[in-house]
Formats: sequence, C-alpha cells, structure tokens
Amino acid sequence: MKTRLATLVVALLAGVCVAAVASARPQANAPLTIYAAASLTDVFRSFDSAQNYSFGASNALETQIRNGAPADVYASAAPLNTQRLHRAGLVEKPVTFTANRLALIVPRSNPAGIRSIYDLRSKPVKLVVAGPAVPVGGYTLTVLRKMGLSSVLSKVVSRESDVRAVTGKIALGQGDAGFVYVTDARAVSDQVTVVRVPAWAQPRVRYEIAVVSRSSNKAAAQAFITSVLSARGQTALKNAGFLAIPKAPA
Amino acid sequence: MSVIAGRRGHGVGKRSLDRRRFLLATASGVALAGIQVRDAKAATENDLAYANFGLATSYLVADFYSRSLEAAKLEASTRPALRRGRAAATLHARELTALLTGAGDTPATAEDFTFEWPVPTFATAASIRRTGTAVLRASLGAYQQAAATLTEPTYRVLFASLSASVAQQVGTFTTAGAPAEPFPLALDLEAASAALEAFLG
Repeated sequence: MKTRLATLVVALLAGVCVAAVASARPQANAPLTIYAAASLTDVFRSFDSAQNYSFGASNALETQIRNGAPADVYASAAPLNTQRLHRAGLVEKPVTFTANRLALIVPRSNPAGIRSIYDLRSKPVKLVVAGPAVPVGGYTLTVLRKMGLSSVLSKVVSRESDVRAVTGKIALGQGDAGFVYVTDARAVSDQVTVVRVPAWAQPRVRYEIAVVSRSSNKAAAQAFITSVLSARGQTALKNAGFLAIPKAPA
Repeated sequence: MSVIAGRRGHGVGKRSLDRRRFLLATASGVALAGIQVRDAKAATENDLAYANFGLATSYLVADFYSRSLEAAKLEASTRPALRRGRAAATLHARELTALLTGAGDTPATAEDFTFEWPVPTFATAASIRRTGTAVLRASLGAYQQAAATLTEPTYRVLFASLSASVAQQVGTFTTAGAPAEPFPLALDLEAASAALEAFLG
C-alpha cells in the first residue's frame, strides 16, 4: 500500500514537473499571437489560418504591446510604430514586408457625384477619414497636403479608429467619400467606386513586421516572418493588391 | 580683358568662362545657378503641390528620355538632344527635391514610381514623338500656370525657368515643318495631373 502510494506521489510530481517545463518552453505547434494592422486582416487570415490574430489600428496595437499585451509578432502599416517599439526594446529589428497605396472610395450610388479628388473642394461632401494617429489617417493628411487640398478637412464628418471602419461606413452609405488603402477598397468593390489618388500625391505606405521581444516563442515568430517574406507570402500579398517590397532609393 | 587664373595654371578668359557656363546651363535646360529659391517657409500648400507634381513629372520625363535612347527609333541626330533633355529633367528633379526638403517635406524618389508606358510607345519614331510631345506639353502647361499663379515669388521664377526649359525640349519631338504653337496652354494642377495620370502609374 505504502509502495503504491509512493509511486502515485512520484507520478504526480513527475506530471507536475513535465507540465511546468512544457508551459515554460515554446511549443512548436502552438499558435502564435499576431498583432497586425487592420488592413492585413483578409490576407493574413487566408495566408496562415493556424495563428491567433488581433487586428486593429497599428497605433492602438503599439499601445497594447507597450502595456504588456502577450503578442509574438507585430505587423504595422507604418514604420513609425514598429520603429518606436524597437527603440524602446519592445520588438526586435523590424523589416519591411510590403507596401500599399491610398484610394478615395465613394458609395456605388455616389450621392455627392465625386469623380475626382478635386471634386472634394467644390461639392458638399460628408468626408470620412481615420484619426490622425492611425496610419491611414496620417497618410490621408499627407495626400491632401501634397495636393494642396487640406482645406477639404473642414468637410470631415467622422474620424474612425481604423481603416476597416472607414471602409465600412462608405460601403454602407454613411458617408460620401473616404480615404482607405487600395486593398481595403478591393474587399468591398461591389459596394463602392474607387477614385484614384494620383501617383505623384501618394504617401510612402510601408508595412513593417517584427518579433515581439517578450515573446516566449521567438523561433516560431521568426519563422512566421520568414514565411511572410517568402515567395509564397509575397504572392499572397500581391494577390490581395499589396505592392512588392519597395527598392531602396539609389 | 581680366583673366582668371585656373588652379592648375590654365589661363581662362572670364568672358569665355561665362559663355561656357551659360552654354552648359542652357544645354542642361535651366540656368539653376541664377535661381535663388527662398527657404520655403513662405510657400503655401498650393505652391508645394506644384513642386510635388513637378518632381514626379521630372522623373517621368527622365525615364521617357532613357527609354527613347534605348529604343533608338529616332534619327541618330536627335540623340544629343535626348541626352540633354534627360540631364535637364534630372536637374529639375534635384532642384525640386531641394525645394521640398527645405519646406520640411519628404520628397518622392524615382523609386517611388512605376511608370506605365503603353506598349507601342517606343516601337516607332512617330509614337515616341507623339508621347514625348504629350508628356512635355502637360508638364509645360502646369509650369506655366505655376509661374503665373504661385504665391512665393522665387517659386514663380523657378517655374518660369522650368517652363522655358521644357518648351525648348518640346521642339525635339515636333517634326520639321510642324507649325509653332503661338500660345501653349497653361494647365491647372487637376488638368495636368489628369493628362499624365496614365503614365505616372
């Protein structure tokens, strides 16, 4: 009886030890927690559905990582966010993995009759944009400044928390026009009409990705980043309308 | 006649030096040495919009010249003019980059653009001439408008200079005997942008 009890205790202790070791070490097959810009929602989910994603505005995700959120990978729509975290030692060295462009979208019914961005000046328009701290909101300000059209900001009726919210409002006809990424416009192409932003006024939209320093699964996190940078990852991004990794200026 | 002694002991007449500099600047398309563009604090957003457009257009024009040279469809006698045009476009881009940097902007680089030239553009001399004329006229139109309407006087001088340079270049692509255009059309930014949208990508 005593022997059986001792065996049971040993077995229980061994089990506890194994469990403790297992929880402390990364599990090769455990899904990663990936914090990614809202504009990456569709492409990341279809590219690798095995991971846990948290999509949102890059600036909001940056704040969450600063506050200790348990992310393994951070993918931002603006280098500003990743670089700030890198300087704070909260993510490892970020790499650029894709690029994007801005577009103006209007509801299919186009109640304000917008045919060109310059029409925003002359027509009564309910303009929807993202907040200035959100990457797409900052890029919107750049486009308008480059075109000499910042005055149309007086027509903004709503500042949204991320690009998906802007897209949704225009698709539902709750605004006359909104600035989004080309890739988001594609996702609702049956509900909106795209008005091109001229190439000369485009902001430099770069996406960066990095391993979160506190990740307990850095090897797998790095492997995810490698797969995004691989031919397969780049093809998935290209098929979703993203642009190839830009060349560095000569 | 006063003489400027060259550093390596070559005597060079001032007049001939000035003439050479003038010819060089003219060949490059714009006499940049004479332009004093003030720090852009006084420039309005509209002034800078023309600068951003002009920068993209300069990269476009430089790319057009490079491809025209590669295609080698125009008469061999035009090659020096094509090279001078490309050099002028490069200088224009450099000047506009400096202007935008001075204004606190992050200017575009050539790598930010993927220019789109319709397939037959460089296939024949005629299509090169047609496209070259269209691209240069649109940029000339915008520069004329800028020279006349911008707020900052030194910007107006720069755009007047760019207009003169581009007007010279248009001649490269017009066939002999083509009528001179008495009043090239000034274009506002919206119209000029629309005219070049297909090429700018």
